[in-house]
Amino acid sequence: MSLVSPLNKVLGLGSAKGGSEHWWVQRLTAVALIPLGLWFIFALAGLQDFAYSTVVAWFSRPLTSIFMILLVLTVSYHSYLGVQVVVEDYVHGKVIKTVTLVLTTFAHIFVGCAGVYAILRVGFGA
Amino acid sequence: MAQFKLPANSRVKPGKDHGGAKDAPNKREFQVYRYDPATGENPSVDQYSIDMDECGPMVLDALITIKNEIDPTLSFRRSCREGICGSCAMNIDGTNTLACLKPVEEVKGPVRIYPLPHMPVVRDLVPDLTNFYAQYASVKPWLEAKTPPPPDRERLQSKEDQEKINDPSACILCACCSTSCPSYWWNSDRYLGPAALLQAYRWIVDSRDESTGDRLDALEDPFRLYRCHTILNCTKACPKDLNPGKAIAEIKKMMTDRQH
Repeated sequence: MSLVSPLNKVLGLGSAKGGSEHWWVQRLTAVALIPLGLWFIFALAGLQDFAYSTVVAWFSRPLTSIFMILLVLTVSYHSYLGVQVVVEDYVHGKVIKTVTLVLTTFAHIFVGCAGVYAILRVGFGA
Repeated sequence: MAQFKLPANSRVKPGKDHGGAKDAPNKREFQVYRYDPATGENPSVDQYSIDMDECGPMVLDALITIKNEIDPTLSFRRSCREGICGSCAMNIDGTNTLACLKPVEEVKGPVRIYPLPHMPVVRDLVPDLTNFYAQYASVKPWLEAKTPPPPDRERLQSKEDQEKINDPSACILCACCSTSCPSYWWNSDRYLGPAALLQAYRWIVDSRDESTGDRLDALEDPFRLYRCHTILNCTKACPKDLNPGKAIAEIKKMMTDRQH
C-alpha cells in the first residue's frame, strides 16, 4: 500500500518542458530521407556497371560525396532518435535504461563518423 | 527489460463450466475471466451457456442473466445500460468496448469476456481505474479564466467555438481507448494516455479557457504527450466514435505552432 496520493504519482517530477523538438526533428529527418533515399537508389541503379572503378569514380564526384554524407548523417540521426524512443518505451530499469541510452548514442555517433570518413576517403582518393 | 510472459500470479487457467441453458436451440457460449483476490488462486476462464431467446441482445444482458440465473458471484460494473455512463467497459471478443452497446450477434463463436487489458484487476471484470482517474484530474478538467464572467449572464461562446468541443466533451471516460493503447500498457505511469489527452485537448481548444499556454506547458514532455506513437488503437476502440488520436495530433501541432 502506497501512501502517496494517485494524483501525486501522476504529476511525478513535473513536465520535462521538452519533447516537441525531438518529435519535430524526427519528422524533419524522415522527410529529408525521402529525396535522399530515392536519389541513392536511382543514382546507384543508373551506373553502367558495378565494377570497383565505376563505383569509386561515381563516389569521387563532389555532389555524390556531399549527398552521401547528408544521407549517412540523416540516417544516423533519424535512427538515433528512433532507437532512443524504443529504449524509453521498453527498457524500464533505471540503470539498464541509462546504460542502453548511452551505448546506443555512442554506437550511432560511431556509425555516422565511420560513414563520413569512408565517403571522404573514397572521395579524395586516399 | 520488456516482459514477454505474464507474472506467475496473472497466468490464466481453464476454469469451471457452470452449465446453464445447454440444450436451448438458440444457445450461446460465454467464456468469462474470473479472478477473486480472496482465494489466492490464479485467474481462470469460466464457461456459461445462455439461451438467447430468454435474454436481451447485448453482451451486458447476457452478463446480467449469468449473474441473476447461473452464478451470483460474477462481478462487473454496470449502470445505465445505454452507453452513457461508461461503467461496463471491458474486453469482448478481443476488443475494448461497452458491454451494453455490443450485440452478442456481432461475435462469432464463444463470446470471450475479459477485463480492460493491462490494468490491475480488483475482481473478475472490475479493473482498478485509480491511476486513470488521477491522470484525468492532472489535466485540470475545468475552466480557468482570469477575465470575470459578465455579471448578468454566463460566458458566451460562438457556435463555431462550441462545435470544436462538442466531440471531445462527449467522452464518457470509459477507459476503452487508454487501455487499448500499447504505449499506455508499457508506460501508463508517465504517459497520460488518449482519454486524458482528449480531455486536455477539450480544454485547450475551449474558447473561454485562458490557460491554453499553461496547459500546453504541462504536456510539453517526452512521456506525458510524446509517448503517443500514432498507433490509433484509441480511435478504433472508442465506443462513442470519438477521435482521441486526432486530438493528440492537434496538440502536437499546437506545440510546433508556438515554436515556429
